[in-house]
Amino acid sequence: MRPAQDNQGSFLGRISIRRNQFTDVNTEQEQEDLELFQKHIADRFTELLTPPPPPQPPSEQIMSVTWLRKLMDVFLCCEAEFKAILLMGRDPTQISKPPFDRLVPEMLDRSIKALDICTAVVNGIDSVRHYQRLAEIAVAALEQRPLGDGNVRRAKRALANLLIALSIEDKENVSSGGGGNKTVERSWSFGRRGGGSSAASKGGATIGRNWSAAKQIHAMTANLTPPRGNEAAGLPLPMFIMSTVTVFVMWVLTAAVPCQERAGLANHLPVPKHLNWAQSLVGIHEKIGDEWKKKEKKGSAGLMEEMTRMEKLGHSLIEFADGFHYPAEKEAAESAAAQVAEMAEICRRMEEELVPLQQQIREVFHRIVRSRAEILEVLEQAGKLSAPVV
Amino acid sequence: MAGLESKLPVVPGVKNHVLEACHHVVKALRASDNNLDPNLTKLLSDLESHLSTLEIVDTKVVVVEDTGFSEIKKGFKEAKKVILGWEQNQSMILEAGVSKADLFFQALHDVQRVLTSFKALPIRTNKKEKDVYNQAAVVLDIAMFRLEKELCDVLNQYKQHVQPQYLSVSSRGKDIVYDESFVSLDDVVVEATDDQQILGSNNVVLLDPLVIPHIKAIAKAMFACDYGQAFCEAFITVRRDALDEYMSTTLEMERFSCVDVLGMQWEDLNGEMRKWTKVLKIVTLVYLASEKQLCDKIFGDFEPSSAACFVEISKDTVLSLLAFGEAVSLRSCQPEMLERFLGMYEVSAELLLDVDNLFGDETGSFLRMAFHELAKTLADRTVATFSKFKNAIASDESTRAFSGGGIHHLTRYVMNYLKLLPEYKDALNTLLGNMQVDDSIPEKTGQDILPSTFSPMARHLRSIVTALESTLERKAQLYAEEPLKYIFLMNNCHYMVQKVKTSELRHFFGDEWIRKHIASYQHNVTDYERATWSSVLSLLKDNSKDSVSTSRDRCRLFCLAFDDVYKNQTRWSVPDPELRDDLHISTSVKVVQSYRGFLARNADRIGEKHVRYTCEDIESLLLDLFECLPSPRSLRSSRRRW
Repeated sequence: MRPAQDNQGSFLGRISIRRNQFTDVNTEQEQEDLELFQKHIADRFTELLTPPPPPQPPSEQIMSVTWLRKLMDVFLCCEAEFKAILLMGRDPTQISKPPFDRLVPEMLDRSIKALDICTAVVNGIDSVRHYQRLAEIAVAALEQRPLGDGNVRRAKRALANLLIALSIEDKENVSSGGGGNKTVERSWSFGRRGGGSSAASKGGATIGRNWSAAKQIHAMTANLTPPRGNEAAGLPLPMFIMSTVTVFVMWVLTAAVPCQERAGLANHLPVPKHLNWAQSLVGIHEKIGDEWKKKEKKGSAGLMEEMTRMEKLGHSLIEFADGFHYPAEKEAAESAAAQVAEMAEICRRMEEELVPLQQQIREVFHRIVRSRAEILEVLEQAGKLSAPVV
Repeated sequence: MAGLESKLPVVPGVKNHVLEACHHVVKALRASDNNLDPNLTKLLSDLESHLSTLEIVDTKVVVVEDTGFSEIKKGFKEAKKVILGWEQNQSMILEAGVSKADLFFQALHDVQRVLTSFKALPIRTNKKEKDVYNQAAVVLDIAMFRLEKELCDVLNQYKQHVQPQYLSVSSRGKDIVYDESFVSLDDVVVEATDDQQILGSNNVVLLDPLVIPHIKAIAKAMFACDYGQAFCEAFITVRRDALDEYMSTTLEMERFSCVDVLGMQWEDLNGEMRKWTKVLKIVTLVYLASEKQLCDKIFGDFEPSSAACFVEISKDTVLSLLAFGEAVSLRSCQPEMLERFLGMYEVSAELLLDVDNLFGDETGSFLRMAFHELAKTLADRTVATFSKFKNAIASDESTRAFSGGGIHHLTRYVMNYLKLLPEYKDALNTLLGNMQVDDSIPEKTGQDILPSTFSPMARHLRSIVTALESTLERKAQLYAEEPLKYIFLMNNCHYMVQKVKTSELRHFFGDEWIRKHIASYQHNVTDYERATWSSVLSLLKDNSKDSVSTSRDRCRLFCLAFDDVYKNQTRWSVPDPELRDDLHISTSVKVVQSYRGFLARNADRIGEKHVRYTCEDIESLLLDLFECLPSPRSLRSSRRRW
């Protein structure tokens, strides 16, 4: 098990014991809980920001599949801890009073938008799996010995399709209309479609008509402001923190894989710069944001580290293929072989980790659904309690 | 061909030794016994002839080996010509006819053999041979690319458009429109169930069966040349697009985000939920089942690819359908959603076995699990909605009395809603099995023998009606006039009984319930008569000592009281004609008899001009009661006919 999850268990246990002892809300203990929550957030994101020690392969780097899976774990831990703070042992009427009558619905609204992003990202990962299959074809062809023009020709075709798919711009990525409206012409070659794969090329259709990741992220941040004055010390703070974490995680996922309509997101994400707990989060945000801005000009299917490397390898292997004459020159063949091996390694990693990542995102989806239901239930209770007795 | 065979690793010396040894054995067997069994004799001669052909082949091999390369080159040249010929020709190989197609596949086969033979003996190859090998690999790739195109073309061209004859979905089924006052579900709008027999024929033709052998030939060739993955990718793409098109164009299924679904008007959502219920069934049982068969037919020899491709083809659509279910489950469960949720739950639970079969293997486990999760979610939502429904009935409050004492819209709504539920009895019994309920008939009493009367669903239905009854009892207390309270209760109870008696519901509520409730509204009738008429009729209770003026007074007071009753109760409502008749008769019997008796005893003393109503007047006036007349009718002026 990951260490973060161990934390979570003991944390929940402790909170519940304390809350059972007493339920006065503004106790010192609650203050302590809030501080602990902030500390955990800070620790978890610091761990994500810190690059792995040198012998580690690039697979552990920011935006790698492995890293994204860690990020999902971090999200789940934060979420569990937050829910404990929000609900456990609390008098239900408390979260229905101002300012919570505004803050809670806003938070729930964000969570619905996050759900749609989860779905979009799960679809996006399907597109990545399509890139993986194209890369696998290229690898298989280039691993043939003796390497002939026929193999190179086959690899080149797969690589060209891969590069088209990887550099697809958001605009092309979107088709209007529901179901399967086809703005991208279906060509006969599976790799020759604009989006690379059906799921990507009709990215829009997979979620709903006119759905846009960018709009959703914008809407999620629209009313997200740090609590001020009295509120800054109480429950509004963890609510703000959790919302920020949610938006941030969704933003990262949107950046990582093909996702319907995300123009302008590279710049957009107001993260609070001066707060302690947010330091590492801001660090990660800047790193990804810079990369995104660079890529946005060229057009890119996603910033997932494996995809970025795949693109680089794809370009140089195509170069190799262009200059290839049978029989292969020894030197060129050797350097190509090393690249092919690297590509094969990326494919292997994708094969191992993409589906589990999809499953984790599904888990995030279900967790958000569950938490929302629990919060609504508490609000309903509160409604009953505060309603005048008939 | 012969040239290719020569490239097989042959070691002539060894082979010759074996052949000689065989000859020797045969000879020895012949010599050993002169009276050989005829069968054995035949066997031996067969063997001898086989051995001799082998020797011929063997010598040929040795001869050809020397000239092998030029033979290979010649064979390859031919094959190359055939394959490159198709590069210029963009039409389908399929349409050129079987013999042309065979030529292509044969050429491909030849090229492939050139490659395998080179691979078998790479050390022996010289520069020229290597060049041929290299060219062969290129030609192979050209051929594969050509086949990929051919595959897509044929799949697209010979795709059969599946007509939605299984489907007549009105996307806006405006059946139960709910509002807080439960007014909208009237008797008239109870829908006829239009659930067609989807199961009748489970399979549709997705692809012209005539082209399947051709596609199989393409599959065989591509898999044999190690281009299986390319075949799968192309196949998946075309078939997935076909499914997309079926969903969006034929079934007109639009995709909705969670945000969309949460913001949707109930009317629209109701239509979408209804449609989803049908589409899920059709897509799973008909379309996907047929798609799976198609995959199995085409990938027959490449089993693992079949399941994987099928999953890839269906995944996107299945997940989008499941996503709608999940999104709907996010809505706060309003009572009006009960039937839709029941439908959605029922269909998803019903399909679990089919889904397990369709996505049986490892690659499909993701979809299988997602489907099971959704069925569970829908089950929870349905139960929650059911409770909400009951609570809404129990807590329905009004501030004003329901005018006229007729059938309250809540009663209509609930009873008509309940009538829809027997259709989902299996689902409901499963879902409600573990839910606590207070039932008005806790034990089998012997009156009812049907098991359905004691099923969890029946207990819950009765408890819902009990909740309805207490709500109505509260509403009845709002009437200022006591008799109207009884009329109201009678009307509503009678309505419930009628709804139960004349529908499937009777098997659930049982005879005892019906009997009890008939008794209950009859009791209301008695109560009504007592509350209205005992005081009025008590005026007619005379005794012989009454003076003339007292008798006249009694008569006058009775008529005034009668006028009052008339004025009020003609505005009251008993919508059921039979019930109204019964009430008229029993009232008439009581009132007219007493009045007639009174008049018979006192007519002389009172004097005709002081008798405002004759018995016949009273009798006919009583018929106006409960007719729900729009405005109070005054009798004093209009009714004097003499």
